[in-house]
Amino acid sequence: MKKGAQPIKKRRGILGALALIAIAVGLYWGLAIAPPDAYQGQVQRIMYLHLPSILTAYLSYFLVFIGSGMYLWKREKRDDILAHSAAELGVLFTALTIIEGSIWGRPTWGVWWTWDARLTLTAILLLIYIGYLMLRSLIEDENRAASAAAVLGIIGFLDIPLIHMSVYWWRTLHQPPSILQPNKAPWENVHPSMLIALTISFVGFLLLYFYLLSLRYRFGEMRGEIKAQRLARGG
Amino acid sequence: MTLLKETYLLLWKDLLLELRRRESLLTMFFFGTLLLFVFHFSFDLAPDKIVEMAPALLWLAFLFTGTLGLAQLFNAERENHCLDALLLSPLDRGALFLAKTGFNLILMLLVEIVVIPLFWILFNLHSWNLLPQIFLVSLLGTVGFCGLGTMMAAVTLRARARELLLPLVLFPLMIPVILATIRCMENILRMGELGEALPWLRLLLGFDVIFLTLGVLLFDHVIES
Amino acid sequence: MGPWGFVALAYGIVWGVILLYLISLKRRYNSAQAELDVLSSVEATDRDVKK
Repeated sequence: MKKGAQPIKKRRGILGALALIAIAVGLYWGLAIAPPDAYQGQVQRIMYLHLPSILTAYLSYFLVFIGSGMYLWKREKRDDILAHSAAELGVLFTALTIIEGSIWGRPTWGVWWTWDARLTLTAILLLIYIGYLMLRSLIEDENRAASAAAVLGIIGFLDIPLIHMSVYWWRTLHQPPSILQPNKAPWENVHPSMLIALTISFVGFLLLYFYLLSLRYRFGEMRGEIKAQRLARGG
Repeated sequence: MTLLKETYLLLWKDLLLELRRRESLLTMFFFGTLLLFVFHFSFDLAPDKIVEMAPALLWLAFLFTGTLGLAQLFNAERENHCLDALLLSPLDRGALFLAKTGFNLILMLLVEIVVIPLFWILFNLHSWNLLPQIFLVSLLGTVGFCGLGTMMAAVTLRARARELLLPLVLFPLMIPVILATIRCMENILRMGELGEALPWLRLLLGFDVIFLTLGVLLFDHVIES
Repeated sequence: MGPWGFVALAYGIVWGVILLYLISLKRRYNSAQAELDVLSSVEATDRDVKK
């Protein structure tokens, strides 16, 4: 094992442990301590997953953007590995967000799916970054794959505000006002205990995210090292 | 200014090639028309419904036709290592981007000039006076499509299954253009003018400017050999 | 399904999926690590042989 590896593994282990603690506390607070919502009842507790999930996904896509930009600028392998890892995690958390949103929607709106702005937007995000991962897997040359993916990573991220705007306009300008009002925020009066549950949950997700990112990044590095070593031997 | 000059040169080359062989233009034109026929059979439309659905059907037809054009966009360069030759020359890559975008744009506009009136005829629409406005919106939408599409065509150029990958990657990113164009056209057909759809037009314009600029800036990174 | 049912479904799926991803990631990680160890040990033997 190379020289800097041990302390990194140790720090990652601590990160993982902290994540676990935060998640556990968050679970307990979110499910047991925080009161149910006045309008949505117990189902509102799904929001303690949903909001951190989508925020983590956005963070991930931002990292894809940064990694892509840095890679095109400096052409350092590590930025490419970051972008790829962040994209993978982004897809994971986006998929989870959609599942959570759908499950929350069933008792709230009566349907498993609705083309409201939030869900639609999240679905589009998922499609974009699945496309990113597919692009990477379908280009054989590594360097070309990295460049192509980097361009997609930048363009995709910069398109997000435009997609956001157009989907929201579409959904709010043409939707007749309804009693359900799915575009309103999920709660009216925010009990402080709920805020705490949300915050702890968010911290837990963040820590978990960076733990997973660290693992995935190292995996990407190792893959690169393996290729390099194999190449040095001539196959 | 050199950027424009180089763009013009490259564009002229592609147009000359196309003028001689006419393969892209004809395939796109016939494909667009074919789609109109298929739509007519697929959707049993009452006259009032058609006005509602016309923008969407029209734009779907253009989307698929345009994708066809994009798939063929770099065909000329693939033969005889032309792409390598282009890249070795001191031409600005941004010029290559603009030229390719412009070429696909011209092809699509030629198709649209025929297909839109054809649509009016086949689907018995009477609002001929609205065509100029429809063309304008179509033009702006097509510019956005060609800009982003050329980028994505280059990005997927070296990928396996690129004919499938291109739409997969392109269409989600195109959603602002699709929404904006269709909303604008809907309003034009319904109200006779853009009216409250003006914000959509501005969004479309913004999209075009942003992605044409990005294309010029980033094409260098994506088209390397 | 009662309200707690939906909550359980959501939490169950989310943490289940995350766990599965973590397991798959760890597996990929370990196999890469193993391969890397093999390659480095072979390299070390090569060097020793060459000396």
